[in-house]
Amino acid sequence: MDERRTGWVLILVLAGQLVVLALQGARAGDTFLESLGLRLVGPAGRAVASVPESLGRLGEGLRTRGTLLDENRRLRREVEDLKLRLLQLNDVAGEARRLGAAVRHAAPPAGRIRAVDVVYADQASWLRTLIIYTGGVETKISQPVLSANGLVGRVVTVAGPYAKVQLLTDRAAGVGAMIVRTRRQGIVRGRGRGSATLELDFVPIQAEVRPGDVVQTAGIDGVYPRGIPIGTVTAVAQGGQLFHRIELAPAVDFSALDQVYLLDFAPAPSDLPEAPAP
Amino acid sequence: MNVLKFLAVVALAVLVHVLGVRMLPQFALIVDVFLVVVVLYGLEASSLTALGAGLCLGLVHDSLTGAGFGLFGFADTLIGYGAARLAQRLVIQRPTGVLALVSFAVVAQQALVVALTFLLLPWPEVPSPLWVALRAGASGLLGMLIHVGSTHWRRTAEARRRSRLSRLRLG
Repeated sequence: MDERRTGWVLILVLAGQLVVLALQGARAGDTFLESLGLRLVGPAGRAVASVPESLGRLGEGLRTRGTLLDENRRLRREVEDLKLRLLQLNDVAGEARRLGAAVRHAAPPAGRIRAVDVVYADQASWLRTLIIYTGGVETKISQPVLSANGLVGRVVTVAGPYAKVQLLTDRAAGVGAMIVRTRRQGIVRGRGRGSATLELDFVPIQAEVRPGDVVQTAGIDGVYPRGIPIGTVTAVAQGGQLFHRIELAPAVDFSALDQVYLLDFAPAPSDLPEAPAP
Repeated sequence: MNVLKFLAVVALAVLVHVLGVRMLPQFALIVDVFLVVVVLYGLEASSLTALGAGLCLGLVHDSLTGAGFGLFGFADTLIGYGAARLAQRLVIQRPTGVLALVSFAVVAQQALVVALTFLLLPWPEVPSPLWVALRAGASGLLGMLIHVGSTHWRRTAEARRRSRLSRLRLG
């Protein structure tokens, strides 16, 4: 093919990609090409992720009897503590249910969680990504992803048994949040440029905020349920005439994720039917 | 055969990238394995092949990033084509030439990606210039090492082939 024709091919390919990129900005969800790419690179991530797991299993097999006995004793103690804590929490939950029933409060249904493996995590670069292996279990776009410590992000692309997660630290991510101590609400965003910290926007300067305040999801964005830990306030400054500039340390250590949980949660419908006029 | 070879190279690049990120969290910031392959392909292939290689590797890279899908596809297509056109006009055989070309390609790619994010995405971000410089240097070094290694391997293979042929003629 001569150079002029190659030039035309180049122009066509670049124009096509520009159209795909422009369309992505205007809508949510994934494209066919993105799903295909994820299906192709996912197995490589899974293969690499399984190597340390296999080595770990080999190491476990070689442990001495003494180490195993120590670990067994420690785990038994932990189980006893957790049983006690569960009893206390059941008691509190029962009390909350009774109080709720007394004032006819309809509590939102609690979601079910499923553990999934992280096969690729790039949390350091400014194009941070997390790819998870769901094992073919139904996964939906915008499904919340948690770790044992708090909120990780939400699913943005699903391709067969693999899914791509938008991390909470992503500049484009936004979560409706509230300060637990004062119940004051705002929006948590990633700070970008590879920063591991978050910012809490739209909290008015009249509101009292202190370093050490715990921030949770508020359940106001229709994506995440209420009460998932997001982070802790580390610094408060006056951002402008109206709002504080609040910095948060995430509750989750994004650099140490090897397993996360998918939350089966029914988000609020995007278009609620209007009530008929009386 | 060429397609199979290319697919094997793509698979190897993915494995190196994923393994690198697993072992060193900053790996994706420091080295762009995909771009190194694109530039090295551009140095040896026709401009159409280099364009295709850039598109393919760029889209694979996009599958592993959280930004808009097609950012690296666009940039790597342009860089693959540019590298091939440059190689048609200049003789780039010295290792230092490859280092300079790959380093320049990294800076150009980052500039293209940033420009595209500002034009098309709702939350544009600019990578730190320090990391871009480090990425350019490290990727250039990797490109140079691969170039030197592959040239040496090819020369050795060619020498072996010649000696085998000469032995056959003598016999």
